Amino acid sequence: MFPDEFYDFLLDGVLTIGLTHYLILSVLLFSLGILCMVTKRNAIGILIGVELVLNAASINFVAFSKYQTGGLDGHIVALFIILLAAAEAAIAIAIFMNFYNTLRTIDVDRGDELRL
Amino acid sequence: MWMPTGDELSMLGPHWALVGTIVAILIGAIIAGRNWRVAGTIAMVGGLLTAGLCALGWKGLGTNWAGMAGGAGGVPMLVADQFSYFFIFLISIFLVLIAGMWFLGQDARLPEKLARKRDATEFYVLLVGSAFGMALMVSTTNLLMIIIAVEMTSLPSYALAGFRKKHRLATEASLKYILFGAVTSAIMIYGASLLYGQYHSLDIVVIGRAIVEQLTIGTTEAGGAILNAPTVLMSVSIVAFMIGAMFKVSAVPFHFWCPDVFEGASIEITTWLSVASKAAGLGLLLRVVAVLAAQLGDGAEQTLNWVRLAVAVMAALTCTLGNFSAYRQTNMKRLFAFSSIAHAGYMLMAVAIILPTGGAASGAAHPAFSAIVLYITVYLLMNLGVFGCIAMVYWATGREDIGAFNGLIRRSPVIAVMMVAFLFSLVGMPPLGGFIAKFWLLAALFDSGPIGILLVIVAVANTLFSLYYYARVAFAMCFSDDGQPAIRVPFLGQAAATVCALAILLIGTLWAGNIKTFSDERSSNLYAVTKQAEQPVEEAVKTAELDFRE
Repeated sequence: MFPDEFYDFLLDGVLTIGLTHYLILSVLLFSLGILCMVTKRNAIGILIGVELVLNAASINFVAFSKYQTGGLDGHIVALFIILLAAAEAAIAIAIFMNFYNTLRTIDVDRGDELRL
Repeated sequence: MWMPTGDELSMLGPHWALVGTIVAILIGAIIAGRNWRVAGTIAMVGGLLTAGLCALGWKGLGTNWAGMAGGAGGVPMLVADQFSYFFIFLISIFLVLIAGMWFLGQDARLPEKLARKRDATEFYVLLVGSAFGMALMVSTTNLLMIIIAVEMTSLPSYALAGFRKKHRLATEASLKYILFGAVTSAIMIYGASLLYGQYHSLDIVVIGRAIVEQLTIGTTEAGGAILNAPTVLMSVSIVAFMIGAMFKVSAVPFHFWCPDVFEGASIEITTWLSVASKAAGLGLLLRVVAVLAAQLGDGAEQTLNWVRLAVAVMAALTCTLGNFSAYRQTNMKRLFAFSSIAHAGYMLMAVAIILPTGGAASGAAHPAFSAIVLYITVYLLMNLGVFGCIAMVYWATGREDIGAFNGLIRRSPVIAVMMVAFLFSLVGMPPLGGFIAKFWLLAALFDSGPIGILLVIVAVANTLFSLYYYARVAFAMCFSDDGQPAIRVPFLGQAAATVCALAILLIGTLWAGNIKTFSDERSSNLYAVTKQAEQPVEEAVKTAELDFRE
């Protein structure tokens, strides 16, 4: 039905998982994360966006480390990113709790007392 | 298996001292209970020890590396040289002064007095923790280490900004700080992943060399590289990566956190962030720029023009916006937040002019490096003085608006006179240190081509404009007396302000030459960072590959 080149392309380029697939996944995650940060008004929502971007970066590091030269560096960085994301989430949620206890909401637009 | 040698360990003495201070504060809390005097004393002793180690170590210090090799073909992860020792010295001295400020504030009748007493241990642990993050930030050329350092500086700072629990403004400030901070650091890490993907290494020395190799299309007669325009992917990844440092420096598109956090946080933390965070961010930026500039050689053409233009525009905007927003502020902390943004702009101007004129082949560092080192030293004294005076008025009256300063010359003559000195030094008036700092900065700008001269014009216009709002504060203190009662100011606070003002006066007059020599020495061997990793990238990658397989 299709020319042979198409099947070759399908086999080599699409079905055989390579670096490109990981990069596409990571770019999708990054874009969704940025979208999440920009649109959500809820502090937890923004934090989820940040975590998505961090995961996109981790996938990048691991994929580059596996498919390109450079030893284990990327894997190590990915581990550190997981650790940093956890630490950041812990502090962020503590601050959100404090905000909630003070203002009874975690809507970031309600924090508007500091201006000019 | 990598093991540290004794030399490497002793090179990292200041870092060890800071880590030891954190542990000592915690152990002190176990032994002595929640005692704010014990915790504060340990923090001050630790800070002094760190500063002492730096000051003893930097005489004739070359470039020393310590730690594991940072990625394929890279140099080890931490570097101890004059430059990093200088910044750690600055940060740890500042740490001692902030701890002292917290001590003085403990006697004031503040609503949060009991909480301050109870939570002092946590305060000092977080403070020293963020200082340690800054110490790492200025002493590395490795992407992973930069990421860890930026996070390690930020995380305690977020907690510090919200240290007054249940205080509406502090709560809001910490929320804004952590949201902006988390977003920018996430984007920075993504940019780092793109850089790693393109250049197969975590080391910015290797990355810088690969970038220059990729772009070079010839050499000029003077031996500098002629460069092609950078690719889109390269631009995007470098810009994304630099966002982290720009956030710390509070350059213009990333400055929104600065006034809010400065107003909401308690005044010791405002002071800490206003100098230390900016100093560390600038240290990181300078290190990265030095690595790039050293690869280019003398008289390079078309040298990453967009980087230089982007940073120049950013610096001009930072400066102008900071000054124009400060113009209508009535809250003193917020006013000086914008003032600190403006000063970050002046320092960024000097960063912007380093790249085109490299000058690495002759071995001499660019004059802008020494100008920034000098500026940040003087800026520390001026800002500490101003915020110290604001703090003392706040402790006595409970007010932070400009009205609390009316007639201060009668109510507390010493504070008022010192404050006027700091204000005029911030403007850059001749007999004071601020003038010397600005003079060398503008001189470095002036010598570096058309962009530099445009930046000089922007800086001078801004200086004239800033005179207005600084003078407004001075006017309120001296001429608009509305009969408020005299205030009681701690004697030690007055003495500290006097010492600060005297130091600024001396830097502006008798020590002007000494401070110039000092900052020249501290920034002299920045380019040496790149000399270590001479192995070509491909070979290094092959070696790493072999190690990995084995």
